[in-house]
Amino acid sequence: MAVIGALFAFAANEVSPRGLALARNYFPGTARRSLPTATATQLTPGTGDTNVAVPSPAKLLATRLQANGLQLVDSSQVVQLFRDPRYEQELVVFIDARDDRHYQEGHIPGAYQFDHYRAENYLATVLPACQSAERIVVYCTGGDCEDSEFAALTLESVGIPKGRLFVYGGGMTEWATNSLPVEIGGRNSGNFRHAKP
Amino acid sequence: MNAEPWSWKRNALDLAAVLARWLLGALFLYMGLNKALHPVEFLKLVREYEWVQNPLLLNSIAAALPWFEVFCGVLLVAGVAVRGSALMLLLMLVPFTLVVLQRALAMQAVLAISFCAVKFDCGCGTGEVLICRKLVENGVLMLLSAWLLMGRGRHLCARYTLIKSESRSGGPTTARSSCDLTAT
Repeated sequence: MAVIGALFAFAANEVSPRGLALARNYFPGTARRSLPTATATQLTPGTGDTNVAVPSPAKLLATRLQANGLQLVDSSQVVQLFRDPRYEQELVVFIDARDDRHYQEGHIPGAYQFDHYRAENYLATVLPACQSAERIVVYCTGGDCEDSEFAALTLESVGIPKGRLFVYGGGMTEWATNSLPVEIGGRNSGNFRHAKP
Repeated sequence: MNAEPWSWKRNALDLAAVLARWLLGALFLYMGLNKALHPVEFLKLVREYEWVQNPLLLNSIAAALPWFEVFCGVLLVAGVAVRGSALMLLLMLVPFTLVVLQRALAMQAVLAISFCAVKFDCGCGTGEVLICRKLVENGVLMLLSAWLLMGRGRHLCARYTLIKSESRSGGPTTARSSCDLTAT
């Protein structure tokens, strides 16, 4: 019974268009998020249990990125890169590491989508753009989201030099909170929320 | 079919057992499909438990478990291999409940909040849940599974046991004969 069930389960995963590739490492990199750090964001600094020394999420992110050889960029640096004339020439490229639904709901204008869990669907478009770019800013939702790190490491694994890869830790949440322009729908759809860039 | 007239109490118990089988089956079908249709989200949640480090093992768990739940759910709803399916559910529910409890205790220690205030997505297929509610739910599901495992819920089933068994008179009997197709 268990064997039949297991055979059915693996066959269904194989047949399903959303099935997982069993041999693939979806979480590349060396640092792992432990349980306390996963829940630390729910603590308001200064109001939580002072006996528990929990580093801030931003500090943990910076440490993780450093361990993986990636660089963290903050909101002001990202805005600067977004307004950089090289952005128009695609020498600065933004990569959205979230899934279809989130990307369609709103992304940084001109950002390419690269859901690394389905890398094969995006690499043909994203890779040439990254290869010719001088700086690549990868972001996801922000907060606890680790997908930007994994996406950056996936890009690195296909030949993009680490020195060009930057992770925007604040992610889409911080971007939208700062009332920066958000593009809805596909890339270059021309449909913007907030100010048009 | 059993010619002996049933008492209303027995009828009620049989009806309850069939409803329990359908409920359990439908619930696992729903929860399994929820995860199977969003395997990446489930994979991330399984990773949070830090049970396994090996990518192959982690992916296998996240890929197979939801479909296995669907499999057991369908069998229970249809009434096929009921005791075997109930045993499978029980064997999944016990360790899952323990690891969910373990994670909730760890979260409680970090967050310094009351145990029942701990709320997280345990990867059970129903989104974020309060831990006490989840433990009660799992307790009920385990009891229902154990009840079915004891031989209840054989009414309105397609094929109660998969393997042919020997009848009391010594002759072979089909599995279907052990399944009462009468409505309760």
